[in-house]
Amino acid sequence: MNKFRLLITGLLLVAVLLGACQAEEAAPVVEEPSVEEEAEPFKVAVVMPSSIADLAFSQSMYDALLTIQEEMGGEEAMEFVYSDGMFVVDDAAAAIRDYAAEGYNLVIAHGSQYGSSLQEIAPDFPETSFAWGTTVDTFGIANIFAYEAASDQGGYVNGVLAASLSESGVLGVVGPIETGDAKLYVDGFVAGAIATVPDIQVNVNYIGSFSDVALAAEAANTHIAAGADVLTGTAQMVVGAIGVAEESGALWFGTQASQTELAPDIVVANQVYRWDVVLNEIIDLIDAGTLGGKSFIIDLANGGEVLEFNPDFELPADVLALAEETIAGITGGAVEIGAPTFEDVFRVAVVMPSAINDLAFSQSMYDALVAIQDWMGGEGAMEFVYSDGMFVVDDAAAAIRDYAAEGFDLVIAHGSQYGSSLQEIAPDFPETSFAWGTTLDTFGIDNIFAYEAASQQGGYVNGVIAASLSESGVLGVVGPIETGDAKLYVDGFAAGAKATVPDIQVNVNYIGSFSDVALAAEAANTHVAAGADGLTGTAQMVVGAIGVAEESDAMWFGTQASQTGLAPANVVANQVYHWEVVLKDIVQSIADGTYGGTSFVIDLANGGEVMDFNSDYEIPAEVLSLAEATIQGIIDGTISINLGD
Amino acid sequence: MISDLLSMTVLVGILTSGIRLATPYLYAAIGETFGQRSGVLNLGVDGQMLLGAFAAFYVAITTGNLWLGVLSAMIIGGLMGLAMAFVTVNLHAEQGISGIGFYLFGLGLSDLLFQKLLGTVETVKGFRKVFIPVLSDLPVVGEIFFRQNILVYIAFALVPIAWFILNKTTLGLKIRAVGENPEAADSLGVSVARIRYFTIILGGTLSGVAGASLSIALLNVFQQNMTSGLGFIAVALVYFGAWRPWGVLAGALLFSLVNSLQLWIQVLGIPIPSDIAVMMPYILTILVLVATVSRVRAPSALTKSFGHDD
Repeated sequence: MNKFRLLITGLLLVAVLLGACQAEEAAPVVEEPSVEEEAEPFKVAVVMPSSIADLAFSQSMYDALLTIQEEMGGEEAMEFVYSDGMFVVDDAAAAIRDYAAEGYNLVIAHGSQYGSSLQEIAPDFPETSFAWGTTVDTFGIANIFAYEAASDQGGYVNGVLAASLSESGVLGVVGPIETGDAKLYVDGFVAGAIATVPDIQVNVNYIGSFSDVALAAEAANTHIAAGADVLTGTAQMVVGAIGVAEESGALWFGTQASQTELAPDIVVANQVYRWDVVLNEIIDLIDAGTLGGKSFIIDLANGGEVLEFNPDFELPADVLALAEETIAGITGGAVEIGAPTFEDVFRVAVVMPSAINDLAFSQSMYDALVAIQDWMGGEGAMEFVYSDGMFVVDDAAAAIRDYAAEGFDLVIAHGSQYGSSLQEIAPDFPETSFAWGTTLDTFGIDNIFAYEAASQQGGYVNGVIAASLSESGVLGVVGPIETGDAKLYVDGFAAGAKATVPDIQVNVNYIGSFSDVALAAEAANTHVAAGADGLTGTAQMVVGAIGVAEESDAMWFGTQASQTGLAPANVVANQVYHWEVVLKDIVQSIADGTYGGTSFVIDLANGGEVMDFNSDYEIPAEVLSLAEATIQGIIDGTISINLGD
Repeated sequence: MISDLLSMTVLVGILTSGIRLATPYLYAAIGETFGQRSGVLNLGVDGQMLLGAFAAFYVAITTGNLWLGVLSAMIIGGLMGLAMAFVTVNLHAEQGISGIGFYLFGLGLSDLLFQKLLGTVETVKGFRKVFIPVLSDLPVVGEIFFRQNILVYIAFALVPIAWFILNKTTLGLKIRAVGENPEAADSLGVSVARIRYFTIILGGTLSGVAGASLSIALLNVFQQNMTSGLGFIAVALVYFGAWRPWGVLAGALLFSLVNSLQLWIQVLGIPIPSDIAVMMPYILTILVLVATVSRVRAPSALTKSFGHDD
């Protein structure tokens, strides 16, 4: 009924808009007529599993498309069509293929169940961009975008509120299937509730269906019978549960879309998805010629998730304040939400080329694993082992294979030199997830994640500072081998220095080794002899060069890990890698059942790279503010780093 | 561009770098020369260096006494040599394989000790530069040769001393005899085992100092695998130098100078890809080896164990 009404409304809308278009075309256009006439509207097609008015998953996408259309300037600039209620995957696949064949710019498969169909269809239409969710997996296909909701964040806030309001001390959760954003939401809700009232009881029920409204209602009844006075649930079948909550006088917390209108008396708050945040980015990328290969996440920080409170529900002021504090804590990073939970201990093994305390590449990964262990709840929830000093690739390959055979959930090959070994090993262990870096190449293998550092960003900031502070006008760089994140860093450094002081001289020396400390020191000596008063370098062998900087009283700029401790009087700033940003996404993805196929990048914007200034080094205020402006410029895109060759 | 290489700064820079780079090679390769002249190939040099480097660093940083650091490096290098001697002389183990074993042992143990005792990369105040009076004031030459730290001077002083011991003393005669014809030496009452124990332990001791020269004199840090295969280059330099101390010196200097030359080539922006530049010292070494190796003969008993005592 509802659907029919919306269809009619939609058709009317289209008719009105078409009329408006014609009217406008008929009107005399004085300014920039060519642009108006030649611009083809951007065409989007969406396939969704439920109704566009489901007050949940499908509606969240439909609302986003309406928003986008309005933002882009109406139907002239962007038009979209949809097929909703496509709960039969075969039908959905046929629709996706039809839309692609009809020349839509972007075809969205809104449902994780459509993934395998999309994987077959997308390569046949290389000119069409596809997007699907909720997932982070692009299958390594160049014209597929992926999108995911960090629904644990709103779930956490809801959990905090629910625990605060519950009088019986029992909460009930109705979920569909234990996967994707549903599982994330539920896990977040549980974590938030327990964090607020440690001894609260949270009963979780996955009913095994996205559409069985009756069963969802029965699950809610069960929760009530078990003493719950606050309920929540996710996916479109929860409308049944909301009815039960209303009847029983229990409170309800919504997610995906606003469910307030369904039961205005008992809905306290909703986490509302704003997919337009992601769609905007995707459309910009398509305009710029990138048709896929990236994944996006909406969360509270980027505005893709919004906590909407029911204005008719009288929330006590202290509880509202707690909720707002929690939201601020999550967006600011102060509140860490429970990581996904696994049935058994999540086991990670890492193979690294140098020592875990090399003050550089390997240490950055070790530190990240410690952070992840903490995030997941300590050794009881996650344990990791490592083989460091594996500079012999054959040894590393043997270790990687052993770890996989021993049943580790995630095996990380931390070094681009391990790539070809991994390519051979990973297909033999389809149940194991592998990650390697620094690279963006997953080899198109389903159980390999790739990670890379946009190290040119911190390199650029270091270059700006170095050029500003150099008196001799000469800077020296000690690199290992001209490849990977080392080359990115070095090129970024040179670009930053030259952008600040155009005639500065940046001498670069690649010593051909990641471990030859003596040669790195000699390279630094050479730079100093050539007049450099500011040095930088990347990879673990630079500890030798830092000693030379100290002896020669030259400035040092670090990268990968903080090197301040080695020469507190000489280190000005460090770009510090925080791989945990990437590892969280990888762990989440494994929890969702996706073992690879995606690549991740850490950069200044996502907090995976952080500029760490040495507080003991007196950086002049104007240089520090220049550095901070540079960081901001890189994050918001106003500074683009030109890496030259 | 190429003409930039001929400026005085650059020439002085190349030579001073070359001298510094050559220092650890000299200690290790001179020590290895003794061993090989007595018929023992020790491929464990790199492992001995790593343990020496760690011992020197750890003792220097905890006691503040650099010479105690050097002594510890000598002792641990010597102990490694003793073990190597026992395995190759008494147990007649294949020299090449046991050397690799000791290399891996040194690599692993130095890392383990580093992790357990230090846990992070730190710096130490190492040997300062010693300006030799008068000589260090000489233009150019003074800067290149006479403003180095004490372990650099000792390394270069070792060359004539080693030459003298090997060629002008009875001990040297015995060492050479054992390396050329252990049966004959044995029949003349020279203890092959004792001589080999001596040379291998001496080699280990000097390898330990080679490591110390890195960790508390030239670089003043310790890092896992910081020698990065330098000990293997030292073994190659012994072949290169035709088992003679002066030849070893020539090889160490040539290799190091070409290495510092390639550093300058990159710094000056001379358009040679860095991958090619870093290959230069190795290519040159191979070429010289090919050119010279046919003219000289290795000690006849090299790598052969002597089976008198079983």
